[in-house]
Amino acid sequence: MKILVVEDNERMARFVTKGLTEAGHTTDHAENGRDGLFLAVSERYDVIIMDRMLPGNIDGLAIIDALRKADNHTPILILSALGEVDERIKGLRAGGDDYLTKPFAFGELLARIDVLSRRRRTDAAQTTLEVGDLRIDLLARKVWRGPRAIQLQPREFKLLEYLMRHAGQVVTRTMLLENVWDYHFDPETNVVDVHISKLRQKIEVESERQLLRTVRNAGYMISAEPPPTASVTPVPPEA
Amino acid sequence: MARVIRSSAATLATGYVLLAFVALVLFAAPLRYAWQATIEDFRFELLTEDSQRLAHVYDLRGPTGLATFIDERVRMQIAGERMLLFVGPAGQPLAGNIPAWPRSIPTRAGSYTLPVDLDGGTTMVAMVLTALPGGYRLLVGRDVDRFAPIEQRFWYGLAAAVGVLMVAGIIGGVLIRNALLTRIHGIQQTVAAIMRGDLSHRLDVRSRGDELDTLAQTINRLLEQVEQLVHGIANVSNSIAHDLRTPLAELRSRLEELSLTRPPAEEAFAEVDAAVADVDGVIRIFNALLRLAEIDSGLRRSNFVAADVTELVARAVEFYLPAAELKGHALSFRDPGPVWAQCDPVLLAQAVNNLIDNALKFVTGGHIEIEVVRPAEDSVAVVVADDGPGIPERDRPKAAQRFFRGDASRGTPGVGLGLSLVQAIAKLHGGTLELRDNEPGLRASMIIERGVSAPGAASEQQRVDAGGPQHGLEITA
Repeated sequence: MKILVVEDNERMARFVTKGLTEAGHTTDHAENGRDGLFLAVSERYDVIIMDRMLPGNIDGLAIIDALRKADNHTPILILSALGEVDERIKGLRAGGDDYLTKPFAFGELLARIDVLSRRRRTDAAQTTLEVGDLRIDLLARKVWRGPRAIQLQPREFKLLEYLMRHAGQVVTRTMLLENVWDYHFDPETNVVDVHISKLRQKIEVESERQLLRTVRNAGYMISAEPPPTASVTPVPPEA
Repeated sequence: MARVIRSSAATLATGYVLLAFVALVLFAAPLRYAWQATIEDFRFELLTEDSQRLAHVYDLRGPTGLATFIDERVRMQIAGERMLLFVGPAGQPLAGNIPAWPRSIPTRAGSYTLPVDLDGGTTMVAMVLTALPGGYRLLVGRDVDRFAPIEQRFWYGLAAAVGVLMVAGIIGGVLIRNALLTRIHGIQQTVAAIMRGDLSHRLDVRSRGDELDTLAQTINRLLEQVEQLVHGIANVSNSIAHDLRTPLAELRSRLEELSLTRPPAEEAFAEVDAAVADVDGVIRIFNALLRLAEIDSGLRRSNFVAADVTELVARAVEFYLPAAELKGHALSFRDPGPVWAQCDPVLLAQAVNNLIDNALKFVTGGHIEIEVVRPAEDSVAVVVADDGPGIPERDRPKAAQRFFRGDASRGTPGVGLGLSLVQAIAKLHGGTLELRDNEPGLRASMIIERGVSAPGAASEQQRVDAGGPQHGLEITA
């Protein structure tokens, strides 16, 4: 994937670009708003990572606004130290597709970029999702593992649906909290992990192949193929 | 500042005197008018009446008869009080108590008030001149100066009243000034002491309950709030410094050890991962503090919408249910039907989650009861009761303070901000957090104001799929 990183802090930019490169992406870096806007309009990117407070007269939100007005719909992830709920809303209203607050875990950033870049494909109206022999019917709200029908509670269904919509992608705990429960805060206990292990007990019984994996330092991934280790457990570069 | 007070007290006293003076003038002016209009008019009326009577005598008995009548009257009367003069056509006096027609007096009939030379002196005389048939003329007059002393006494009285008022006003002003100065001086001293840093000082409040007392009480309340805030800030700053120092010290020693010992890569990376976890802990504290600051600023009121509290709590219960089961605890929640409230659903959800999270950390017997009740028509309470160690009575008021960690919380995760957050959220919603003894355990009630009552027609959202009592979740519609 080709990713543009607009970030004025040199160290932060190096951390992000190095991490993305190691995860197999190509990156461009702009350290101010003017260069950022120039690159964003002149090149084609799969995802743009945008800082909000930038030197020069153009801040991150202004760039997003300009891009959206020019009918450029490249997915944009806003990466900002402004973490208040209202700031987040402001960022998303301006045309950002996702919002991540600094400081952040690199795994979180990588997972969100992955989801953003592939969003267009999964947005298509689908009535069934399949991962290996696991199949869910979104209209009838039914789940099967091969011939075995699985009974899920509504929230478990929603959790599985989210995981399967992002099959092959790492999904973090925060992403699950936000999208499955609509909670925008971190509970102190490992509640999400418990939900996942409960779901796992239902969809993987006895000798069935493991589909739902825990990705160390990042989150979870549902996938039919055993993943190539490099892209799933990215080693966070030194910060 | 003292000069301002002094001059303001003096202004007050002067104002009083001036006000009294104006009142007196307003009182004297109509009196003066009454004197002028009524008494003088009445005097001329009397004189006219007299003249008419004498003219009648003239009509009946002729000039000689009138002269005799006047002579008789003059003899009977006290001299000087009344002036009578009857003159013939040539102006020669025929009868009366003045020797001749005074030169300054006109000859035409009518009413006059004129100075008249009499016995060498000049007196003001009010007179009525009447022309009688045959060229005879009649003068009936009265000495006005005789009433001058009365008028004078009236003015003297008025002047005396003004004098008394001035003195009373000045004395009153001085007394008021002194009383005010004494009390304001007291306020000044208290405020000066507070400004020097001793926030425990309070203004004197007398039992009389006058305006200054009301003011003093208001200021005292303000001071109490300021003291609380200042202590709160000081406590929070101390706690932040202290609570951050611990993980930072750990982090530092970890990194330093790593740098000194240079262990093999595997071990080094494990240490680095642990260091990242340490940093995450610090970030978590910062996030909680930022959230608290955000709530305390009250800005989030703009995000209030009508939401069903029961639905919110049911979702939180469902969220925590698997975690509770895993630990072998039961969560029970009775569904009281929709209870709508004007609130910030994101924050309220966080508060409910914090309460359940907190209960899960401390529960021992394995049972947590969650309720949504309505203590009053316009409020709703989310009650989370556990059977853990609870919070001792003496610690309860402090439990919601930032960074407070009771004895029971030693060894549990968390930084002591959970209940502070719940309390701040309750406060934002016009409510409170109440902590009671659950015998045993803690019974925490977050009470919030419902605000405007909610859409009654709105249907209940899809609820938790119960999962039966084996999950410990009981739902009764």
